[in-house]
Amino acid sequence: MIRVEEISKSFKDTKVLHEVSFDINRGDFVAIMGPSGSGKSTLLYSISGMDNINSGRVLFEGTNICEMKEEELSDFRLSKMGFVFQNPQMLKNLSVFDNIILPGLVAKKESAEEIRKRGSELMKRMEIEEIKSRDNSQVSGGQLQRASICRAMINNPEILFLDEPTGALNSEATDQVLKIVGRLNEDGMTIMTVTHDKRVAAKARKVLYIIDGQIAACKEFSVDTDREVELDEWLKGLQIIA
Amino acid sequence: MEISYKEEYVSMKLLLNLVYKDFKRNKVITITLTFFLMISTLFMAGGLRVTGTIISSMKGLNELAIPPQYLQMHKGDYDENVFKGFVENHEYINDSIIVKMLDIRNANIIYQGETLENSLMDNGFVIQNEGFDFLLNMNNDIVVVKEGEIGVPVYYAEDIGIQVGDTITLHEGNYTKNLRVSTIIRDSSMNAALTSSKRFLINQTDLDEISGHMGEWEYLFEFILEEGTSTAILEKDYIDANMPSNGVAITGSQLSIMNNLSHGLIALIIIAISILLIMIAVLCLSYIIKATLADENHTIGEMKAIGFPNKAIEKLYQMKYIVLVLIASVVGYMAAIPFGDFFSSSAVMYCGNGTDEWMKWIFPLIGVILLSIIVIFRCKKTIYKNLRSSVVELLKGNDRIKKEGHYSLPIAGLRHGNLSIALGELKCKWKEYVVIFFVFIFSSFLILLPMNMKNTVENPSFMTYMGVGESDIRIDIQYTDKLIEQKDAAISYLEGDPEIAKYAIYQNSYVELQNSDGEWEYLRVENGDGSIFPLEYIEGGAPKDTEEIALSYLNASELGKDVGDHITVSYGGEELLFTVSGIYQDITYGGKTAKANIDFEDKDVEVYIIYLDVMDGVDIEEKTLELRSILTDSKITPISKFVSQTLGGITDNLSVISGAAIVISLVLVMLITVMILRLITAREHSAIAIKKSIGFSNKDIRIQFAIRILLIQFVAIVVGTLLANTIGEVILGMILSFMGASEIQMLVEPIKSYLLSPAAQLFLVFITVIVGSKVVKGYHIRGQIME
Repeated sequence: MIRVEEISKSFKDTKVLHEVSFDINRGDFVAIMGPSGSGKSTLLYSISGMDNINSGRVLFEGTNICEMKEEELSDFRLSKMGFVFQNPQMLKNLSVFDNIILPGLVAKKESAEEIRKRGSELMKRMEIEEIKSRDNSQVSGGQLQRASICRAMINNPEILFLDEPTGALNSEATDQVLKIVGRLNEDGMTIMTVTHDKRVAAKARKVLYIIDGQIAACKEFSVDTDREVELDEWLKGLQIIA
Repeated sequence: MEISYKEEYVSMKLLLNLVYKDFKRNKVITITLTFFLMISTLFMAGGLRVTGTIISSMKGLNELAIPPQYLQMHKGDYDENVFKGFVENHEYINDSIIVKMLDIRNANIIYQGETLENSLMDNGFVIQNEGFDFLLNMNNDIVVVKEGEIGVPVYYAEDIGIQVGDTITLHEGNYTKNLRVSTIIRDSSMNAALTSSKRFLINQTDLDEISGHMGEWEYLFEFILEEGTSTAILEKDYIDANMPSNGVAITGSQLSIMNNLSHGLIALIIIAISILLIMIAVLCLSYIIKATLADENHTIGEMKAIGFPNKAIEKLYQMKYIVLVLIASVVGYMAAIPFGDFFSSSAVMYCGNGTDEWMKWIFPLIGVILLSIIVIFRCKKTIYKNLRSSVVELLKGNDRIKKEGHYSLPIAGLRHGNLSIALGELKCKWKEYVVIFFVFIFSSFLILLPMNMKNTVENPSFMTYMGVGESDIRIDIQYTDKLIEQKDAAISYLEGDPEIAKYAIYQNSYVELQNSDGEWEYLRVENGDGSIFPLEYIEGGAPKDTEEIALSYLNASELGKDVGDHITVSYGGEELLFTVSGIYQDITYGGKTAKANIDFEDKDVEVYIIYLDVMDGVDIEEKTLELRSILTDSKITPISKFVSQTLGGITDNLSVISGAAIVISLVLVMLITVMILRLITAREHSAIAIKKSIGFSNKDIRIQFAIRILLIQFVAIVVGTLLANTIGEVILGMILSFMGASEIQMLVEPIKSYLLSPAAQLFLVFITVIVGSKVVKGYHIRGQIME
């Protein structure tokens, strides 16, 4: 689904990503881990088209998103992918519900009624129906993050990118989000996430470990293992304390 | 603890360094703000420089030329002994002269092959006066010209470019006299374009010679009174003594008004514009300070949290704006020098630099200092108010949390997505656009006001403010010995000319009238058929019989008369009782005229005026030339020229002001758009990133900004247009009410005012938004989200 070929990125004179390559298949759940400043978020932003790269290719279903024109990139963000930021980013002049359905209404691939219906369904699924008409400032961080996931899902994207989805949440909210993310993948959603949290990474079927802008290690879990334990051991084996 | 000078110096240096870095960081906003302040200062200082120059010039001219306090014109015989006796018997008369003026028809005065027939001015030839009412040269020295030389009024130097060294030719029949222009004349009595007579200065020998071949004598009886004596007393005594008076009488204050109007109007307008600009600059400043402080809330909170005293933080922000104001003040003051000199050049040309030139340096300096104080005080107040929040409030950014409210997406969906979102966000964020809204209103108003004023004044129907209905051509037959023959010849010709659609002839003379104080004064009366060129009356209508009189607005106001009131006039030794039938507007003859069916005796008629309309398809200019060739003793003027010459400098100034207003307004509109756009995109950078991340393109986002700003502008243009039509009418009325027209109806040219002007403004803003919002392209999602 996504093929990343030797992408590199620098900020001023500092190389943040160095010829990174990997594949993401449909239905995959990939987690990116690594120490602070290793380039995890940069990698996520780069392969989701949210940031430019200096060299390499990111092929989405065979199309290089790095060569997409601005309008094509907008359409890609609108229809093909969903993005969830670490801190929920909502437009403050819209209610939570309107924030969720906005990308759907903009895409105009379905009627407004259908979009609103799906928005309600998503909110129900995320168990945040009660915050529908509220302002962003009137809901908790966890609720807002779930709303962000709803927004990311509104156009039935082919892939979901999550940047530290539980980074700003308390443990209860983290559990809720974890449950949702896991269910989404079980339902067939392709997911790529950046995380420090082993619990999140343990939900993934593949973990990429980045050090200094390069993939240092890759772990694929088999179906029936206790992934948290296996992950822990693997990380220890990498002489890293997560 | 006392701070040493060294520490103070170091701290100041640090502050200035921070200020410099801040300027570099926010270049566009800083430059725009500085420009605003500079323009405001420029206009303030420029207007005051013009004012100072004009005051000095006119004061200087009057001090050196010593204009008369009362001037009575008269044609025909008079008894000099009677005049001398009158002067001796009235102790309040300090000095008096009789100026002998040789009136020569414009058709007989030739410059560079063209006669002065196109000029509305009555031209007289005089020698230098003794005692007072001196004619001065361009150095403001009393000048005497030699034989064969002539001094030309500065009006003609400006109007048709007569220069020293040129030749003026007087020609009639076989007689020709060439006179070399040796000087340009400043005439404190007849300088202004608004005065309808002009005096040329020649040598006594030449005057004696020329008078033997052409021209009619006219006499100016001029008086200087003892200090404190009212001219009304002289006027009453003059009438009571039956002194010669078949011409116009003018007081010193009337002369002063005409001069002030000619030169002072432009200063008034510049200062009015500067006040509005200052208000906008202060508004912009307040907005920018609040916006900047809001953006830097967190930083300020941290500074407070680590112990920075409030005073130090205030000082930092104030220093920024103090530096800007100082730069703007210096640049504005310096730029006001050529600016002010340009707009006062006419006054200097007509009156000289004057004896109090310090005014043009000190007035603007005071203005600039006051302006700086106002602006800095406003800055201090805004900064102080915004820094009062607690540390926690600042760190939390409670200012931002202040609800903007929210809007709802349309139930039916986003048929016009960008429009719906732009409108929704505008509804929430309208407060941020108040400043730009007012600037747009002001700009629209500023473009339209002089444009509409100019259109009104140049419209043929403006004639109705000159005491007569609309017509094409005017013929003046001034008093001479052959007045009746000239009049009859004119009528006879007009009767037989098939190209003349209609005409009406009016007698103009003077009666005596008792004013509200019981004093007798002159009243100029026109007698003729008012139905041929009907006049618009403010109240009532034209006199229908010999017992009715219509008064001009100024006359009615001063006499305290209304329609239906009675008024007694004296003519030919007889007292005549009239009922006021109507009140009309008239800016000619100082605004004080009347209309009545009084059949004046020929000897009393000052002038016959004929108004005529030509048939459709007849060219007015050509007809004028034709009439001039036939009625050689008369002054023939197309009405359009009559209006513009009567209004003199006002219409010329309006053209300059209109052009300048358009430029200033469009520049303002562009600047404020750039500034607001920069501020808003900076404030909304995170919303922009969010929109991009969910699929809005750069184009969508820029269109949304454009819709917001253009919508604001559209509403502002509507408001500005309404204001220009309403308040503009009041302003024009106020200006012209001094001249006698109290109820002006503003005449708008719809295509220019309602189509071209708004379209130009909208287009300019559209382009500015397109260019200014390009910055959106450079907002990378990640960078904005991470901030």
